[in-house]
Amino acid sequence: MNKISRLSSVLTKVNTANGLPNEHYVDPDTFIEEKHTVLFANWSGIGFGKDIPEVGDAKPVDFLGMPLLLVRDRDGEIGVFQNTCRHRGMILVSKPQKIRGAIRCPYHSWCYSLKGELRATPHVGGPGQNKHDDVNLSDLSLVRIRSFVWRDVIFVNVDGSAGAFEEVHCELMERWKEFDVPIFHGGETSGFKLDVKSNWKLAVENYCESYHLPWVHPGLNSYSRLEDHYNIEVRDQYSGQGTLVYRQLTDHDGETLPDFAGLSDKWEEGAEYIAVYPNVLLGVQRDHSFAIVLEPVNQENTVEHIELYYATSEKDTPEYDGLRASNAQQWKTVFEEDVFVVEGMQKGRHGELFDGGRFSPVMDGPTHNFHHWVATQIEIGRTG
Amino acid sequence: MNRDELNRALLGAHAREEQIELVRLYTLAAEERERARDTDAACFYLTHAFVFALECGAPEAIELNQRLADLGRIHRLAF
Ligand code: FES
Ligand SMILES: [Fe+2]
Repeated sequence: MNKISRLSSVLTKVNTANGLPNEHYVDPDTFIEEKHTVLFANWSGIGFGKDIPEVGDAKPVDFLGMPLLLVRDRDGEIGVFQNTCRHRGMILVSKPQKIRGAIRCPYHSWCYSLKGELRATPHVGGPGQNKHDDVNLSDLSLVRIRSFVWRDVIFVNVDGSAGAFEEVHCELMERWKEFDVPIFHGGETSGFKLDVKSNWKLAVENYCESYHLPWVHPGLNSYSRLEDHYNIEVRDQYSGQGTLVYRQLTDHDGETLPDFAGLSDKWEEGAEYIAVYPNVLLGVQRDHSFAIVLEPVNQENTVEHIELYYATSEKDTPEYDGLRASNAQQWKTVFEEDVFVVEGMQKGRHGELFDGGRFSPVMDGPTHNFHHWVATQIEIGRTG
Repeated sequence: MNRDELNRALLGAHAREEQIELVRLYTLAAEERERARDTDAACFYLTHAFVFALECGAPEAIELNQRLADLGRIHRLAF
């Protein structure tokens, strides 16, 4: 089968395009190809700043089989390293922990600073001799992975080939600059994860579209009708959907969550939900935002990591604990309602005669925009 | 503490992953070897004391690094 000609049917306008062919969802070799050309070659989300809140916090993360280490250093900066010792390649940190001084390799105790510098090579020149002319500490720092933190999501570009994050995403960062204010994770009730038996891309595709809302989320229908939604699509960049009728959650006293400071009128009833390609899904509303990192496990399985953020901290405003918990519960219901469709689309892609599907020219622009971007990344990878 | 007691204490501290105690005990072991004018063995133990001090961010790391550097056994580190 000629894969290249089949992508050309994706790389056309939505009215006549097909979706990505089945192998992009069910074939392990294509998954490996996408791992390199789509996920490692671009800015992918791998975690959240809130997972390493304090100086010295270190958390190992497996990203598509690649062992990475998230660290918060003494300057409060987040760094991402390959979690592999420069000596014999031992895994350095195998569980989340607080590093008080240095990262010590459990094998021969080479030690690294929180900035990845090699600080000690015990007995490298023989017992009790901790230096050697041929072992230059400054050549042997941990391998740093390019990273950028935006809206508390830790993005990495594993292969180093992407443009700077702020350049790649400048238009989106500009679009949402009003939300560039301090955000606070809502605490324990505000994070959850869903294991879905689906390729990671189907979660992106479903998130981008409003077409399914009245069918899959009938509960949203009362306040969020189809015609109150608009498509968001920027070719080669991002896509999603917006609503004109966002309504704040209220508790029994009519109390609402505090707004982010300084928002313009547009956001009074407006909200936007955007896929930051490849694997991060963000939502902004006047009183909370959320971030979803899709962890691709293999071609058939994905973990959705969902975290909610507010304008005030949990510690400072315990009076909103109830609203934060019900807000999280409301979103959890919505995301759980989506599980059967992403899993069902995954099953459907084992139908060997499926041609990638035909889009609604009006409703599916954001989904097609994502396919177009993925196909473009794959083509770039194939042609080098 | 004789050498057997020290060895037992070291094994216990390793088992309990008590880094500060490891720093203290390895320093004692080094000093015992220094008194016996066995510099290589002393540096071996000083190295261990230093590594555990460095790992847990104990202030002793600075002095231990200095002691090893004075003996030509390690690069001076900036702390
Ligand atoms: S493998 Fe890490 S110190 Fe040897
Ligand atoms: Fe949905």
